Amino acid sequence: MPAANTLIAATVEHLSRFAPFDAMDRGHLVWLAQRLRLAYFARDEVLLAPHDGEVRRLYIVKQGEVYGEQDGEDAWVMLHEGECFPIGALLGRRPVISVFRAQGDVFAHVLDATDFHQLVRDSEPFRDFCTRRLASLLEQSQRQLHATYATNTAQQQSLRSPLAGIPRRAPVTCGPDTPLREALETIQESAVGSIVVVDAGQVPLGIFTVRDLIGRVILPATDLDTPMRRLMTPNPVTLPARAHAFEAAMHMARDGFRHVLVEEEGRLSGVISEKDLFSLQRVGVTQLSSTIRAATGLDVLVRCAADIHELGHNMMAQGVAAEQLTQILSTLNDLLTQRVIELESARAGQPAFCWLAFGSEGRREQTLSTDQDNGMLFQTDPGETADQARARLLPMAERINRALDACGFPLCQGGIMAMNPRWCLSLEEWQAAFARWIDSGDPRALHDAGIFFDLRALHDPAQLATALRQWLLARIAATPRFLRRMAANALSNRPPLGLVRDFVVDGEGEEANTLDLKLNGLIPFVDAARVFALAAGVAASGTADRLRGTRARLGIPEAEVEAWISAFFFIQMLRLRGQQGKRASGLALRNRIDPDQLNDLDRRILKESFRQARKVQNRLALGYPA
Amino acid sequence: MRPLTRLLRRAPTLEPALARRLDAWRQLPANDLNARFADTRYVVVDVESTGLDLNRDHLIALGAVAVEGAHIVLADSFEAVLRQEQASDKDNILVHGIGGEAQRDGDPPAQALQGFLDYLGKSPLVAFHVTFDETLIRRALLRHLGLDFRHPWVDLAYVLPGLLPEHARRHRSLDQWSGHFAITNFARHSALADALATAQLLQCVLKLASTRNAHSYRQLQALEQARRWVSWAN
Repeated sequence: MPAANTLIAATVEHLSRFAPFDAMDRGHLVWLAQRLRLAYFARDEVLLAPHDGEVRRLYIVKQGEVYGEQDGEDAWVMLHEGECFPIGALLGRRPVISVFRAQGDVFAHVLDATDFHQLVRDSEPFRDFCTRRLASLLEQSQRQLHATYATNTAQQQSLRSPLAGIPRRAPVTCGPDTPLREALETIQESAVGSIVVVDAGQVPLGIFTVRDLIGRVILPATDLDTPMRRLMTPNPVTLPARAHAFEAAMHMARDGFRHVLVEEEGRLSGVISEKDLFSLQRVGVTQLSSTIRAATGLDVLVRCAADIHELGHNMMAQGVAAEQLTQILSTLNDLLTQRVIELESARAGQPAFCWLAFGSEGRREQTLSTDQDNGMLFQTDPGETADQARARLLPMAERINRALDACGFPLCQGGIMAMNPRWCLSLEEWQAAFARWIDSGDPRALHDAGIFFDLRALHDPAQLATALRQWLLARIAATPRFLRRMAANALSNRPPLGLVRDFVVDGEGEEANTLDLKLNGLIPFVDAARVFALAAGVAASGTADRLRGTRARLGIPEAEVEAWISAFFFIQMLRLRGQQGKRASGLALRNRIDPDQLNDLDRRILKESFRQARKVQNRLALGYPA
Repeated sequence: MRPLTRLLRRAPTLEPALARRLDAWRQLPANDLNARFADTRYVVVDVESTGLDLNRDHLIALGAVAVEGAHIVLADSFEAVLRQEQASDKDNILVHGIGGEAQRDGDPPAQALQGFLDYLGKSPLVAFHVTFDETLIRRALLRHLGLDFRHPWVDLAYVLPGLLPEHARRHRSLDQWSGHFAITNFARHSALADALATAQLLQCVLKLASTRNAHSYRQLQALEQARRWVSWAN
């Protein structure tokens, strides 16, 4: 019935503003729209409840908000325009667990279960979305992020712009019968890296680059009179000028070519090199790490620190996942810190000491704006008191702290640094401090324990840290009361609930309507993982490692733990992204985010991530009932 | 020509196929207006015209959406543009967005109107400000099909203030009532989009009416009548 098309088309157009519909074939969307019925629900009306029995319909919110609450459980979800529910119950052919209620006037599209299952069979993006919800949303967000950064990174030109718009040099050419000698002279004169072999009509036949010199000319001792047709790489990659820059980038990445020819109306019009496309690619991980290792002065390390920041930005641009990104960044930061320590400690013969990193550095979860959190653990020489050893070590500790500050790791406001005599301690002194916190369990002690118990040794030639950690785990195991208090403390910080709109936001003045990603989003995961690990005697200090390391003992399905970890790293990535943006605009790095500034997709994932944070807490509460 | 004489004009001659369809439509049994909302199909209609003068202006386009068992069935909708001998003036085109070209390219009026009847069946009609839609549709049906169209109508412009008297002063137009229920319109002043918005208003009305013990079309008509008395008395 063609008469129905405007309405169907309008519905298709509306749906395609939201995931997963934005990724679906138009044909499937039309099929879907033709089977939808629109239903109205007044405020507080129940759309779906567990006692309704097996779910018979899929709902897609068209207008208004639907609140889903689990009876007796502390789980909730708020559904907005474009969101579908209850996917899990439909796939499992079971009743819903939650009661879904209209928050105000709600209009929702309704699809029969049979049609839903048909669509799951027919449409791959839809199936993917339904079966791997969080993972699939994350991938999509990653792709979007990639697209945004691709345009930011190559400042000169966006990868979406046509090749015709990229400034490029006029091609340097020769004929197929030009002798090698003449071609090399041309290359030399025009100071280019490649020469294109063309026929009389300027149609490209092949390309020869200076990188080909070694293999094709020097090693085989090729006669300089050899015609270029025998030395060129035939059938070079050629793209029309209207092709997009990213097509050129893809060819280079996939086939390993460094040059792509551009032609207009069959004739060569330009050469695009890798350098033209990736002007910022000069910073590489391996190159950076060897520069750090070889550095002999602070000035070099300061430059390397800036390069680490830049690399972080580039990797986000390439869509590197937050987990890998933080790992690479903390590996490089570790290298840098270790090199600073080596340079400073080499100056004088020092007693054996261990450099400890605490807090996020200890967990390898640093972002681009992490303060220093460190301390020193030393061994006294025979006949020497701890105070005497400390007095000898403190000047060096201060030099290291100040050097790290110069490298962009600001001094700790709270004074948790090796240069502070309180945190430059012998093994016995550390044990005494830790024992005080474990025994007292007051809020202050719990706060400190949260920072110090995530310890990791960055420089430890005498393996002093292992003894401290083993002692700590044994002491905690012997004091069950401590972990109970730590769990209760962790549970007092609840991730934001969806009361007003999406998120409860706080903050005043400039921070109005913003959300603290660190406090509300990351800390619940970090705190819960710490309790799990300390309880199980797992030595790992990173949140993801702790969750994975305790999973089996806690009897949690792998998929569930991986969903927690994905959520944790998504929030971490938003934080990195925010800091990156603020660095560019010159503002101090902060952890706050305005949920309204996120796109629909990221807002949905953030919501889902907070839901996961509450699930982790629920699991924690299970082990430590109040 | 006075409006009355125009209405009494000789019936048009229909081509046989069209005449058969019209006849089949006449034979359809009338709908039970006492049936409950859940068991009935209503058709919500909206029209676009050459202007707002009921004596002079005529029908350009017609959009209709069915509400079945209180659900809007997206695929069960109807839209037609009637071919005009002369396109409406520019100001008018700016209102409904149906350009001169589209107006001249529309369906032959008799075909379009018979298409509407086939789609409608004997389902009772609902509109916002019925007088306007009914007058234009009646006149077009008489002129092009020779049909004296006497069909049940319910006017939401009266039912809504009857159900929500506390809002009656502030809300009068389709836009205002749509805003009250946060109903968005994908293309205001397109007959089909406005019909959809009106159909969504009908869904709200059905829900509200159920809470006031009104469960049938007949009872909606009664609500409308009562409200008309109130508005006249005021």
